[in-house]
Amino acid sequence: MSDTKIEGQPGYAPGTHVSGRDIRDKKIPYTWWEVEAQYAYSLGPANARFLKELKEGKIIGRTCKKCDRVLVPPRMFCEWCYSPTNEWVYLKDTGTVETFSISYLDPDANRIEEPILVGVVSIDGASPKHGFMHYFGEMKPEELHIGMRVKAVWKPEEERTGSVRDIKYFKPLKDGGDE
Amino acid sequence: MMTFFEKQTNPLDQAHHMGNLMVDNMYTSGTAGKKFFTHLKENDTFLASRCKKCGTTFFPPRLYCEDCFIEIPEEDWKEVPAQGTVRLFTIATLNTFGEKLDEPKVIGMIDIEGTDGAMLGYIETDETNKDLIGSKVKAVLREKKDREGTVKDIRYFQVL
Amino acid sequence: MNKVAVIGGGMTLFRRHLNETGKELSFLASKMALEEAGIQNSDIDMVVMGSAPCAFDGIHMKGENLLDGTGAKNKPYVRVFNGGGTGVFAPIAGWWHVASGVADVAMVVCEEKMGSCYPHPQTAFQTIWDPILDRPLTPNLVWLFAMEMNRYMTRHNIKKEDIAQVAVKNKRNAVGHPCAQLPDENITVEDVLNSEIMAWPVNLLDISPPSDGASALILCSEEKAKEFTDDPVFVDGVGWNIDSTMWTNRDLYFPDYVANAAKMAYKMAGIKDPRKEIDFAEPYDPFTYKELHHMEGLLLCDKGEAPVLTREGVTERDGDLPICPSGGLLGVGNPIAATMGQKVCELYWQLAGKAGKRQIPGDPQVGVGQAWGDIMQMGTVIVLRRG
Repeated sequence: MSDTKIEGQPGYAPGTHVSGRDIRDKKIPYTWWEVEAQYAYSLGPANARFLKELKEGKIIGRTCKKCDRVLVPPRMFCEWCYSPTNEWVYLKDTGTVETFSISYLDPDANRIEEPILVGVVSIDGASPKHGFMHYFGEMKPEELHIGMRVKAVWKPEEERTGSVRDIKYFKPLKDGGDE
Repeated sequence: MMTFFEKQTNPLDQAHHMGNLMVDNMYTSGTAGKKFFTHLKENDTFLASRCKKCGTTFFPPRLYCEDCFIEIPEEDWKEVPAQGTVRLFTIATLNTFGEKLDEPKVIGMIDIEGTDGAMLGYIETDETNKDLIGSKVKAVLREKKDREGTVKDIRYFQVL
Repeated sequence: MNKVAVIGGGMTLFRRHLNETGKELSFLASKMALEEAGIQNSDIDMVVMGSAPCAFDGIHMKGENLLDGTGAKNKPYVRVFNGGGTGVFAPIAGWWHVASGVADVAMVVCEEKMGSCYPHPQTAFQTIWDPILDRPLTPNLVWLFAMEMNRYMTRHNIKKEDIAQVAVKNKRNAVGHPCAQLPDENITVEDVLNSEIMAWPVNLLDISPPSDGASALILCSEEKAKEFTDDPVFVDGVGWNIDSTMWTNRDLYFPDYVANAAKMAYKMAGIKDPRKEIDFAEPYDPFTYKELHHMEGLLLCDKGEAPVLTREGVTERDGDLPICPSGGLLGVGNPIAATMGQKVCELYWQLAGKAGKRQIPGDPQVGVGQAWGDIMQMGTVIVLRRG
């Protein structure tokens, strides 16, 4: 604790720094606890249909007639006009890279050698800038760019479980494809 | 509004995604806790801290008085015996997951002698039918070599 | 509405791990704020606690756990939180306690113990994502920032070296801050650009550190302030605004919700031309580009202009528009809610002329502080003015 008076405010800096080594070496008493809780997240009608269609190898959205909008991921209500959405509509499994990152961090912030290519894909057939986050593959990191045209690579049918991971990743759409 | 009430007849459509919280926690004992547990590793007594202003003796000891909101300095800490009186108790027959325990467990709130504070602890007694309120109890600690500076160093309270 | 004054601030050391419990950190920060205001805890009518997700401290309902460390025992007390926005939202909640007249004197205490969370606070951040649509992809929060930064850079054709300048400025500014976790007076743009790539375009030195820490602020009515000080600082405006979690359905290059919050605060403060009327700012800077993104959101410059101002030195402590004179989150540290210490306490200390080595020259009169959080959703803004 450094209680030395300093000119100006804050006039001192109370607190006792503990280094990572102090913790590893158990230089200070501490209590360890592991959280055991499990959660079952209900899908709700919009996600249930979305995931069921992914299992079939299809991407589905919802229309909002009031906003003239096609939402993906689909929702049962439109958060713009706060009205129920109207119809299910199948979209293409192609799209455009809106943004991306080349990550050298795993989910626990550990360093990894092979980077994860991840980004947001706006889906063809949905409203502009409407899409979801996913991985990219079959490309070098330096090829990945905003505006790139991409296409979903699906898991083999028997491996699909009704999850966003039924799409393995998005790969370059070589000929540019149609919108 | 119909869309909200679409019937889901296939139980698979009612599926859910499983998830967990994934995190572990490392709780530092704090300024007061470090003093308390470091003492407990080497001694068979407890420490408590006393507020000069209102006279409350805190157990477990605190860095500050929660009523007067002033810091309790080093010189106002004192050693107290690791014993006390049962204020409240209950007998548990189920564990955290609702499963039946082999042996019922007696859990009590112990007023610690020489302090205004209390702590939770297991109580060891042969007389589970007895009303334990007011009984004198003494902390049974782990062997010194096994103490790790957590509340588990206090194994249980033995009825005297 | 009653006019609300700021009369004291406090903050603890910010470090990756502090030994003190959350309660003890809250006490130490509150004690400092009470000392500065020259009042006792018995003078405080009500307390607002600000703290981000419980999963960091690992104590659910941590507001209740921290209560006695804030001096709120047997007082009206409430915890507020909206992720990273909390550091400015908690004092906004404190403001409405006093502005409404229900309290004469209110204390705001913000606390975070991210060091409790293992293996890394990032692990808890995973659980802020949608569990069905996002989490199966095992996202990392750094990804989110990286994707937003990429969008911002691409849209305005911004170079990484201009963004790196923010880390250099803030880590240098933090040298004058006694609580600072990562001050560095010799850091260069090359150091930032050459630091380890975390998730391109984000390098290690583009990121503020996770921290333990607490901060406190004391607010009171104008009448009460006269009893305590001749030179009060007033809260002139507050604003808050939030977008949806559907961040993959909008363009990330500009934070509209921050602009909405800023407009709300400026309207209340009677500020018509923020560029002329605001002397300095403490925008939220958990990542380098966020400071620039938020300067634009706060309408302190044109879209895409913030990197230019930074390159030209306008945002240095002795520039025309000092930004993050405290050292910000990049220099002082990022115990989420407790960054109230940089984003609001600093405004007060600067306006009261008490910032010591960090003092902005030229007698600043108006400062704006801002925080940001959730899944690129929340903007919280506060305007302070010298009385």
